[in-house]
Amino acid sequence: MKFQIEKDVFQEALNQVQHVVSTRTTLPILSNVLIEADELGLQLSTTDLDVTITKRVAAKVERTGATTLPARRLASIVRELPTSEINFEVNEDDAATVKSGPSFFKILGLPSTEFPAIGEFGEAKEFTIDQKLLKDALRKTSYAISTDETRYVLNGVNCLIGEGMLTLVATDGRRLAMVEQDLEFPAGNETAVIIPTKAVNELQRLLDDSGELKVALTSSQASFELNESHLITKLIEGNYPNFRQVIPGAANHRVTVEREAFLNAVKRVSLLANEKTNSIKFAFENNQLAISANSPEIGEAEETMDVRYDGPRIVVAFNPEFVMAPLRNLDQDEVFIDLIDESSPGVIKIDEPFLYVIMPMRVAG
Amino acid sequence: MQSHETFHEDQPADRQDLEKTWNHIARDLRVELGVGTFDLWFGDFSIVSYEGELVTLGAPGSMYAIWVEENFKICLLSILPNYFPKCKRIAFEVGTAEDTTALPKSLEKPEEPVVVKKKVLSEKVSEKKLLERGRKAGLVEIFRFDNFVPGENSELAWAAAQAVAAEPGKTYQPLFFHSSCGLGKTHLLHGIGWESLRLRPKSKIIFVTAEHFANDYIDAIQKNSLVPFRKKYREADLLLIDDVQFLGRKEGLQREFFHTFNQLADQQKQIVLASDCPPSEINELEDRLVSRFQWGLSTEIHRPGLMTRAAILRSKRDEWGMNVSDEVINAIVERVRGNVRVLEGALIRVAMVATMNEEPLEVSAVPEILSDICGDSEESNVGIEEIKKAVAEHYDLEVAVLNGKRRTARVAEARQVAMYLIRTMTDFSLVEIASSFGKDHGTVIYAVKKVKSKCETSSSLKSTVELIRRRLLRGDSNRSADRSRTVSQSGKGPMEKGNRESGQSLKKDGTKRSAS
Repeated sequence: MKFQIEKDVFQEALNQVQHVVSTRTTLPILSNVLIEADELGLQLSTTDLDVTITKRVAAKVERTGATTLPARRLASIVRELPTSEINFEVNEDDAATVKSGPSFFKILGLPSTEFPAIGEFGEAKEFTIDQKLLKDALRKTSYAISTDETRYVLNGVNCLIGEGMLTLVATDGRRLAMVEQDLEFPAGNETAVIIPTKAVNELQRLLDDSGELKVALTSSQASFELNESHLITKLIEGNYPNFRQVIPGAANHRVTVEREAFLNAVKRVSLLANEKTNSIKFAFENNQLAISANSPEIGEAEETMDVRYDGPRIVVAFNPEFVMAPLRNLDQDEVFIDLIDESSPGVIKIDEPFLYVIMPMRVAG
Repeated sequence: MQSHETFHEDQPADRQDLEKTWNHIARDLRVELGVGTFDLWFGDFSIVSYEGELVTLGAPGSMYAIWVEENFKICLLSILPNYFPKCKRIAFEVGTAEDTTALPKSLEKPEEPVVVKKKVLSEKVSEKKLLERGRKAGLVEIFRFDNFVPGENSELAWAAAQAVAAEPGKTYQPLFFHSSCGLGKTHLLHGIGWESLRLRPKSKIIFVTAEHFANDYIDAIQKNSLVPFRKKYREADLLLIDDVQFLGRKEGLQREFFHTFNQLADQQKQIVLASDCPPSEINELEDRLVSRFQWGLSTEIHRPGLMTRAAILRSKRDEWGMNVSDEVINAIVERVRGNVRVLEGALIRVAMVATMNEEPLEVSAVPEILSDICGDSEESNVGIEEIKKAVAEHYDLEVAVLNGKRRTARVAEARQVAMYLIRTMTDFSLVEIASSFGKDHGTVIYAVKKVKSKCETSSSLKSTVELIRRRLLRGDSNRSADRSRTVSQSGKGPMEKGNRESGQSLKKDGTKRSAS
């Protein structure tokens, strides 16, 4: 195999695929990237057996062939190469020589035949959707994914398709983020899958602000094809719990706040959040919000800001991290906080089909 | 001081005892958490078993189990040992048919909680919600597709409106309605809004008049908050703008609108515009906007014909529940030729007389009731020749001169005024007007535009035009004409330009010289 490639192009492509490679793995081949050269260019693939990403890039191929090279090491070498043109040559023993101007590298690889084949993709439900739409929806929900591995069904984004709606949900038992987007799907495509965290993260990296992507879903696998890239992931098996159970009913009070100012205020006050309870207090009254934190051994913080709220005084405590997470990932200027009372879950909403349920903390006093 | 019995390992726990114990625990939890929180989370919980350190609670759903464990585990672990002394761990068991039988509890309506939740969640398309959204978008309820009466005058506009509502951004981009006032532009705009809201309840629809847009813009500039302004308009899925002619002569506004337009068009979002004249006739509208407005479909709504007028009034009569016969309506539409508002006014008046007299109205009574309205709406009776005659008379010319090729300042002005008046007072198309002068329609467009803009700068021309118009409306074109004349202004533009150019060339020379 022999080819020439632009440094920037190669670097970019390696960056997109290398995150899949796990650093600690029992199978050495899994830390390698599969490079296949054909007449049209290169195809790079990485896998951790759960998530597989392949990406096509343009290259001047002189001799076709395939090999695997250590992904992270290759990426760091390419990043440092001095010239924009890179010459690659791989011999039969899968040793690659990399020449770039005065630099010369020799990297030992593994035969491409050892690279695990991507599992057969069975009968799938296929459709195309907007990249931006999916990217936004993932961004607005993925931070709420549970990291508790004992609850593996929650270790991903639950994705429901049906009734003209695409619903994405993530929860960790203390908060829940949901996006419910109107979408026309061809009939017969109703389905519910749980996309694992890793695939969600990789997918977010690949998604663009424009264009479409092709999605195919089977009961155990999902495939996403976009911009010369292809991501295939195993799905989390099991049933996602009925998340509608924890979404509170109609709220009694609505507070309208400016998102960015609110985020910054919470960030500041949270510096002195009580370490034991990890909560800060929000007091709404008279178009004013007072955010306060009190750590007995460290000190206190308080900040007030203008909001729109004319109901009775409500004091409620939340985990500041849980309040900030959605605020960071929304881009609306205004958000609404719907409250029932001091001990019922609060709901953050925006003008779009999104909601975020957050449990209040119980604080004495 | 607690008076409850506790369980011991050697005492086998039977179901009834467990139930009783749960009631005790529930009481403690209510005290600890408050009744609202307890009902919200623990309403359907129970105790399933107790074995050594492990107490198993029955949860109505796995999501409940997860949230309760995450949020109330500590609290439970502080209460349960009071009843189960050895309890150190809690497990949850979920009812088998969790998602259907075990209904979630909500504070407001425990008896039908699912409905409540659905509403908050998915915001299904209830009629009320739609109305609310429509109003928020600036739509007015009375203008809907189902009460629009299409006729031969509005066939194209009607078809285009339906196509756009069905598939926004796909068919005509932009869709541009123009007509004189009261013929249904605004009705169609609102109709498109409501219809697409019905079809796609979550699409973002904005209806504004160009004036409102301008005010928003000015506001944004004053408050230095252009970002939210841009966001608001540039993220719309369907932008409906009425009275676009208002954009005329407002450069900054046009520029802003241009960018809004482009962005929406790029994203294939639908834009629908309405104006009282075609894009090319809007005063001092930047060419790039004119060309963009003409890019999609520009369609005119004409005055309704006899049949359509009758159909409109019949539909109005049914809508308002008036007791007016078809014959009477026919009599009304034969007399009243004005726009739909005038027609409605006539109908209301006739209906009112009928109710006052408390007896069905005779057809013969209609002319009298409507005598003055008919007078007002006579405008459309003025013909090309009458206008030409009146203008010629005013400028002291022969009609033949107007139709001829002479282009002295006075003749040219008279000709333009005549074209303008014909265009504004009659329904003749540009081509028809042009051919009556032996010119092409571009000339007419130019003339109309010119007179309109001149009227704004020269009050004497304005009064001349108004005078002739009034005279035509009164029907007496024989009185002695007002002799006021207007002096055509000679522009200073070319001179200035010339100077600037020569200045520039001088400078260039200078640099050249120093360079050499």
